[in-house]
Amino acid sequence: MELRAIYESMNGDYDSVINRLRDEERIKKYLLKFLNYHYDELIQNALNDRDYEIAFREAHNLKGICANLNLDALGVAASELTEALRGRNPEGDISYLVEAMKMNYDKTALALNALTEE
Amino acid sequence: MEKNIMEKKTLLIVDDVDINRDILGDIFEEQYCILEAENGDEAIKKLDAYKEEIALVLLDLQMPKKNGLDVLRYMNETNLIRIIPVIMITGEATVESDVKAYELGASDIIYKPFEPAIVIRRALNIIELYEHRIHLEKKLEKRTAQLKESQEKLEKNNEFLINALSSVVEFRSLESGEHIKRVKTFTGILLYHLQKMYPEYGITDEQRKLIVNASALHDIGKIAISDDILLKPGKLTREEFEIMKTHSVKGCEILEMFKQEENEFYKYCYDICRYHHERYDGKGYPDNLVGEDIPIWAQIVSIVDVYDALVSKRVYKTPYAVEEAERMILAGECGTFSPKIIDCFEAAKFELFQLTEGKFSFLENS
Repeated sequence: MELRAIYESMNGDYDSVINRLRDEERIKKYLLKFLNYHYDELIQNALNDRDYEIAFREAHNLKGICANLNLDALGVAASELTEALRGRNPEGDISYLVEAMKMNYDKTALALNALTEE
Repeated sequence: MEKNIMEKKTLLIVDDVDINRDILGDIFEEQYCILEAENGDEAIKKLDAYKEEIALVLLDLQMPKKNGLDVLRYMNETNLIRIIPVIMITGEATVESDVKAYELGASDIIYKPFEPAIVIRRALNIIELYEHRIHLEKKLEKRTAQLKESQEKLEKNNEFLINALSSVVEFRSLESGEHIKRVKTFTGILLYHLQKMYPEYGITDEQRKLIVNASALHDIGKIAISDDILLKPGKLTREEFEIMKTHSVKGCEILEMFKQEENEFYKYCYDICRYHHERYDGKGYPDNLVGEDIPIWAQIVSIVDVYDALVSKRVYKTPYAVEEAERMILAGECGTFSPKIIDCFEAAKFELFQLTEGKFSFLENS
């Protein structure tokens, strides 16, 4: 599967990422590495443990990687979750933000799986 | 210089996410050697180990085990921030952390997602700016050292000339030139105590040096006194003494021929020459100045001159013992001095006594 199609299926911005990072092979290398980290689990586990410091940091890291790799849809969800966790002690219900992040993460992971099958 | 062109510069990339380090590393690997650290602690260790090589740090803000600001703080404490520039690479723009980073000496802040071409350009600009500044600072340091050296040389030459000039007068009085040396040394010691005990006079170390040199010229006017009075072995008559007293004004006339307006050293020379025979009670000469109207440097040289005259062997007298000289000064038998000057003399007396009886001893001459 072509990288452009993969980006489209996960609502990423292929044109921007290729414009900036130039090299498809490199971008693929970064994406595969990204898949190994399972950020959805890292964040969910931290929230289960009520360790908001780690939850914030991982959400923040996810946001940064999404920005660098132009995983736009997941990036937006990660960004909203990051802001909700910035005070390290979320006020009110943030479960819908977690769900939105996970939904986008699953979609992204599914699309990226095409890379591992190559 | 050629070696520098051949050698790649080293970049330290600090980020807890290895994908981010990879992306930056891939951007820079062609032109730079890459060092990586995955948290603040490791960054500090790498900075310590490779501070000579690292040309730039790319620093993430949010990290476990010391964050980016902690690294900047460390670089401030160790002054590394003066020689190694830092670009913050951050996922977000919050005014608070940006301001903090700049306050701590970060050169630039780049937000993710970054444009590699721009990151490369900014990195290069900042490295060149730092190299240029460090080069300028080194040049300035070298120049300052050269200036200091030539100034010291000049000072030495000056001192030599002043010593030679003032000794001419002494040799004419058939003395050995030791009086000038003693007056300078004693003046220095008393001024040192004055600085400590009475800082209100505001004498600096630099001024002390100038005053010590100026003190050598206090009797330069004696060159204008005729031999029959200057070299007379017995007591001077009243008329002869009146002529002798003119030496302070005569000295000033000589100095005035080379007058230098606004020159501190000239002022000390002039004041010491003119006023070193004034008395605190106004009964001195030539101007009958009273109390603190007499410049403090002239007051110091005055008591030093009196003390040295008492403990020295002269054509008309044998030296007094140091304790006797002290008693006579305190009893007001040799003029009156301000209580502060007497305090300084008392504080300095053991140093003066030691020098008088040791290094400057007159025993072998008497």
